[in-house]
Amino acid sequence: MLRLTQFVSLILVLTINVFSADVTGKISFSGASPKMPKMKMDADKTCKAMHSTSVSSEEVVVNANNTLKNVFIYVKEGAKPTAAPTVPVTLSQKGCQYTPHVMGTQVGQPFVILNDDPTLHNVHSLAKSNTQFNNAQPMKGMKLNKKFDKPEVMVKFKCDVHNWMSAYVGVVNNSYYAVSNDNGSFAIKGLPAGNYTLEAWHEKYGTQQLKITVADKPVTADFNYSAK
Amino acid sequence: MLDKLKELFNFKKRLDLLIENRNYTNFYLIISIILFLSTAWAVIDEIITRRPWKDYQSEYNYLLQQKLQANYDELISLIDSSTVAGLHVELKKAESSLENEAYKNGVEELGNLQQEYVDATREWSFARSKSDAVYYEYKKGVHGGSPSQSLKDELKEIERSIAEYADSVSAIQNRINKANEFLATYTNKIAELNSEIKKIFIDADKVKLKLTRASAAPIEIKQVVIDDFEKTNFSELKARVDRCQTCHLGSREPLMADAPQPFTTHPLPELLKIHNPEKFGCTTCHRGQGNALTTGYAHGDEDHYWETPLLKKTDVYASCNSCHANQNALKSAPYFTKAKQVMLEVGCYACHQIDGYENLPPIGPELKNVSSKVKPEWVYNWILNPKAYNPNTRMPNYKFLPEEAEAVTAFLFDKSKNSNFKFANSNGSYKGGSSAKGKLIFNEVGCQACHVIGDETKVREKRNTSYDIAPELSHVSGKLSPDFIYDWIKNPRHYNPTTKMPNLRLTDSEARDIVAYLQTMSDSRNKDSRKLEINKKEKIDFGEKLVRSNGCYGCHAIEGMERESKISVNLSDFGRKKVEQMDFGDVKELDKEGELEFEIKDGKVAVQHSWDGWVYGKLYNSRLFQTERIPQKMPVFNFRDEEIKLLRMLLLSYRGDKPNKKYQQTFDQRIRDLDQGQKLITRYACINCHEIEDHGSYFSATLEDPSMGPPMITMEGAKVQEPWLNEFIKSPSPIRPWLKVRMPTFSFSENELNDLTKYFLAVSKQELRLRDYSAFQPNKSTLAEGKLMFDSYQCLKCHILGKGESSGSLGPNLSLTAKRLKPEWVVDWLKDPQAIQPGTMMPGYWPDGQTALPDVLEGDAKKQMEAIRDHVFIIGKNKK
Repeated sequence: MLRLTQFVSLILVLTINVFSADVTGKISFSGASPKMPKMKMDADKTCKAMHSTSVSSEEVVVNANNTLKNVFIYVKEGAKPTAAPTVPVTLSQKGCQYTPHVMGTQVGQPFVILNDDPTLHNVHSLAKSNTQFNNAQPMKGMKLNKKFDKPEVMVKFKCDVHNWMSAYVGVVNNSYYAVSNDNGSFAIKGLPAGNYTLEAWHEKYGTQQLKITVADKPVTADFNYSAK
Repeated sequence: MLDKLKELFNFKKRLDLLIENRNYTNFYLIISIILFLSTAWAVIDEIITRRPWKDYQSEYNYLLQQKLQANYDELISLIDSSTVAGLHVELKKAESSLENEAYKNGVEELGNLQQEYVDATREWSFARSKSDAVYYEYKKGVHGGSPSQSLKDELKEIERSIAEYADSVSAIQNRINKANEFLATYTNKIAELNSEIKKIFIDADKVKLKLTRASAAPIEIKQVVIDDFEKTNFSELKARVDRCQTCHLGSREPLMADAPQPFTTHPLPELLKIHNPEKFGCTTCHRGQGNALTTGYAHGDEDHYWETPLLKKTDVYASCNSCHANQNALKSAPYFTKAKQVMLEVGCYACHQIDGYENLPPIGPELKNVSSKVKPEWVYNWILNPKAYNPNTRMPNYKFLPEEAEAVTAFLFDKSKNSNFKFANSNGSYKGGSSAKGKLIFNEVGCQACHVIGDETKVREKRNTSYDIAPELSHVSGKLSPDFIYDWIKNPRHYNPTTKMPNLRLTDSEARDIVAYLQTMSDSRNKDSRKLEINKKEKIDFGEKLVRSNGCYGCHAIEGMERESKISVNLSDFGRKKVEQMDFGDVKELDKEGELEFEIKDGKVAVQHSWDGWVYGKLYNSRLFQTERIPQKMPVFNFRDEEIKLLRMLLLSYRGDKPNKKYQQTFDQRIRDLDQGQKLITRYACINCHEIEDHGSYFSATLEDPSMGPPMITMEGAKVQEPWLNEFIKSPSPIRPWLKVRMPTFSFSENELNDLTKYFLAVSKQELRLRDYSAFQPNKSTLAEGKLMFDSYQCLKCHILGKGESSGSLGPNLSLTAKRLKPEWVVDWLKDPQAIQPGTMMPGYWPDGQTALPDVLEGDAKKQMEAIRDHVFIIGKNKK
């Protein structure tokens, strides 16, 4: 009997959501791009030595084509949870900076934090819903294996040793999320047919929402941020 | 028809008939119809009208099943279907292998073997029984004096056959084992796959089980009986029967968090874990009529004679005081903690008797030297209306008439005319400061933690109370002379030996700068310029009468009034007061039903004529219910809506009755220490700077970077060595030298120091014992490893060591460790700093107990932490 119900539910899972489509879009940016302050890495000689020129803060990165990088786009309402991938995602610390600065992951997905620098970093998560942690990585090549239990947009990471270091991780419970790239574009693959609210999140400029309907054709969803 | 009825009830006529001729048929018919109808009505009433809970239960069961089903579906949808399909394919393959000949033969052979085994063991046990029988006969012969040789031989023969049988049985057992092993090569795989599939479905199956149970849930009254919670007025145990869960079915079901009432999950599940409803019931906290089964009666809205109706909203925290009256802070009830904090800070206990708050020191300053501090004109204006000078002062408004205020002033100046107080420095030594520098110092060293000045109101906003804990200084130069300020800030205890204001150890030049800054805080507001005659005897005498009758001595120590009793009513059973005992004066009754208790319309106040409404009105304006004939003395406070509700909740809790001892929090040494300590840290406003027991740290609101503020000190008792703590509080020395804010010198008495130490130990659940911390011997054999880890973990990237070492200025000076920290605490701290102080910048080096250096000390995390601790203790001792 048990096996039968499992089988039936399996069939159900396979047959639901026959239609799905990709959602793509661009995050355009209007207005003058703000001048980002340079990071002062003097506190740690190892950090300073790794950069020949000074590095700007990644709080706002405007691409050459007047689009915005590092915007996290996800389905705020309407999506059902999907199974967590077993492939890990990695947040690395290189040159005393978090790479990538903004990223996404799924609840339950292995999340690896890597220290690629020969100096001490402490990985301090300032999560609100998930458990906070603060672990030291004093040696190069050290890895920290974590998992998030709850959806949370966004979890901030900082390094107390190097106060200029920060990263943001969007934790969602489905695979429908993306981060805008060097062209300011993003793509969410295979969103099942239905009505959704998309939300775009930016570190400085906040959030914006867009309602979309997905049928069997690709959907375009563009956002526009302007300088404050 | 009517005639017939008349005839029927015409008893006189009936009496005229012969007894045999009297007919009662119709009479009985009517009576029996009435009986039938009333029975039918009773049944309907019983089943439908009086049992609304049955509908609730069916509704709940339906809702729960829906939610469980949705939860089940979601869990199923989260399962990776391809993995399950793969497992099913493998399972099918494994199952089909059971069809081959070898396996079938194996099963058959096993069957035969088991039969053989049964046969063999039967023979074996027969032989053993026979042996027992023969042995008995033989022994009988031995005891009788004639041992039989033939029996002895027979016995030997039987024992030999037993051994033979045993051999054959074990041989068969071996063959069975082998057959099983063979079969297992087929079945193990199936069992393994099945358990793997089961594992994937384990969460879903748990929900499924709940679903099955929910669908079979019976409709029944659910009740909790507590035999011994409280006593009647005749000191007999009184049982409580709580049937609340008959309708409030989802209180412990997390899935019901968004369900409508009465099914909603209890909003504080962690509180239910400590107070299991099966043991405490519901009405012990929520009040109401436990055994009632309809809303109106259970909640008390319909039964107006029920003395303890349901406590609504935050009023429910009043119940905490039944068992926790002797505690000032409850971790799971911050609302209750806040109420006690407000009560302690505004000083209700100064005028009212409140159990547990009898012997606290006066809340206001002593006034015996007042003539050296302020001018009579200022005191007169202050007494006339303190809130006019400083709207956020804790001193309430007594609404004195001008001549009364003059008389009180006259009395106070008469009392202090023999004061021999003199400034410690010559007049004018305050001169030469810079007000700009003074402002900087004022903001940095921590004055702002207690005093509001100008538009620097961040601490007031974070404290979020209607009153400040210390005077606002925005107009201070109109009140105090620069000579006085200089003397005061250099050493507050010089003017007032019992002041709560601590000494910030200001240098002469710092003090001069601050005086210069405070001198810019002028007062150009309008004042009452009455011509005061404070030397007249009748004025002084009238003043004394007023001071005595208004109970000024409750807050201010006044010579000659030390033995006066509390001026106002005892509040210990105020919560029991009936609305009939309350006088609403000329205040109209609020004609609106509902939650609004208080309304001001066109300048007229109206309150609900209820206990709630009266208390609200009284706390809002204590003179509200005053009439021409009934004067009222309670002074007027400035409480906010939230504070009124906090204090009213507390008043509601004072009922003068206590539950059975067994249910009360025992007032043991630890609770006693906590109580003393909490009163002390509230009095000295420690929480304005530090976070202690989850509240406080208001000063950090003035800082851009909160890590530059005073540290959290909840765990101080477990953390620091008691002698060090004592020494540090007596004369603080910097631990984090880069901090600008200063730990002040409080000049605590010996008792207060003792109370503080015991308090911190109690918070950490430790007891005070005599320990010789210098006897701690670091393990010398692991010092090399300790140093290696200390260096490779780069501890000095954040910490400093002694003076002048480079650092990120983030962690304390490690050269203090050996004298400051408890050795065992350092290991606890290293293990998981976040667990002790959530949000700390100190990272954990052993996530989940795993080490980054597996080759050091065999990778044993505990040994590694101890080695680092020992290294730090040694370098600390060497580096002074």
